[in-house]
Amino acid sequence: MEFKDYYQMLGVPRDAGADDIKKAFRKLARKYHPDVSKEPDAEARMKDVNEAFAVLGDAEKRAAYDQLGQRYQAGQDFRPPPDWDAGFEFSGPGFSNGDAADFSDFFSELFGGRFGPGGARRAGTAHDGVHGGFHMRGEDHHAKVMLDLEDAYHGATRTIMLRMPRLDASGRTMLQEHTLDVNIPKGVYEGQMIRLAGRGSPGVGQGQPGDLYLEVHFKPHARYRVEGRDVYAALPVAPWEAAHGAAVQAHVPDGTIEVRIPEGSQTGRKLRLKGRGIPAASSGGTAGNLYLVIEVVLPRANTPKARELYETMARELHFDPRSGA
Amino acid sequence: MTHEHIALLLDETRLTLEELASSCAVSHEWVIEHVQAGVLTIELVGDPRTWQFTSRDLLRTRKMIDIERRFDANPELAGLVADLSDELDRLRVRMRRAGLPLD
Repeated sequence: MEFKDYYQMLGVPRDAGADDIKKAFRKLARKYHPDVSKEPDAEARMKDVNEAFAVLGDAEKRAAYDQLGQRYQAGQDFRPPPDWDAGFEFSGPGFSNGDAADFSDFFSELFGGRFGPGGARRAGTAHDGVHGGFHMRGEDHHAKVMLDLEDAYHGATRTIMLRMPRLDASGRTMLQEHTLDVNIPKGVYEGQMIRLAGRGSPGVGQGQPGDLYLEVHFKPHARYRVEGRDVYAALPVAPWEAAHGAAVQAHVPDGTIEVRIPEGSQTGRKLRLKGRGIPAASSGGTAGNLYLVIEVVLPRANTPKARELYETMARELHFDPRSGA
Repeated sequence: MTHEHIALLLDETRLTLEELASSCAVSHEWVIEHVQAGVLTIELVGDPRTWQFTSRDLLRTRKMIDIERRFDANPELAGLVADLSDELDRLRVRMRRAGLPLD
């Protein structure tokens, strides 16, 4: 494990005051905010910045980290010495278990035992809770899940890797990686939350565990674009199919269907297939629509015959696409 | 060894005030104040115990909390930033639809 220089990550000197640290954090939080940042690694940098501020923005953690940091440099191989934090009292992390699940192994190794279910802040709180008759529901967790559009049509089982706080035998909370097989029902749409009861942090004492919420996102698809429950796809057609009308085969997310191209269609015309978008999740719900957007594709004039046909059209049709007629 | 877990779709079932507050680790009062101030963009009136929240409400609430905490923003400012962020998302969707590059 590599030592992380949180001062370097926030771009502040080691003797920076609390206000300067907060100012640097906000500046970087703005710079790497996922809504506005154009940096390719914005999400990873944002996690680093959050992690650095979780330590340097907290006087107690910063003091303990400073004592340790005098002996290490960024990137140096690191194992925390036994009792490295002796003499320090951590009373408040300023971050939730959900945040901490995104933090590095380095952070987890140093401060992993210092947070607990339901945001319990003091080392040993969960342990005390068991014996003291104190009960508290575990914290809920949030994560994102990337699905294929086809999963929304058929439902799917997805294996999800999560880092979750778990109590060890002595009652300390440590981050632990584990996998979860999730049965995702059909009918999910972008931005929808799915809830897994009892899969969040464990409760304290006899408290119930929290829930896990997954935010649904679709992987970019070469063929389809999704808006809510509506699905859009381009439908390439030949000029004569567009001109005369035709029945053509079209790929749709749940198979192949025959579509009638109306006579005189132009590029951009939308054909609506009612109810063939993302299906309803329940029997009383409404399915989305599938829109096929006609794209007239010209044959290449790369043979004598093709050139001759284009020349015939040019000569006999008197067609001016710029006349507005 | 893993077990398969059934996912419940939010919006098919909705969250109560208590569930939303618990899910976002904020107090009931925080949610009620923000709804009544109109900054969560949720049109809810009457007894808060009867309120129900959707996926969109949950995402908006998390966004507001993130902005308020990260920048020590007051609810009105956080609401404005969240509105602008939503508008940015809508414009990006329209640009993608029009086949325009985002940069």
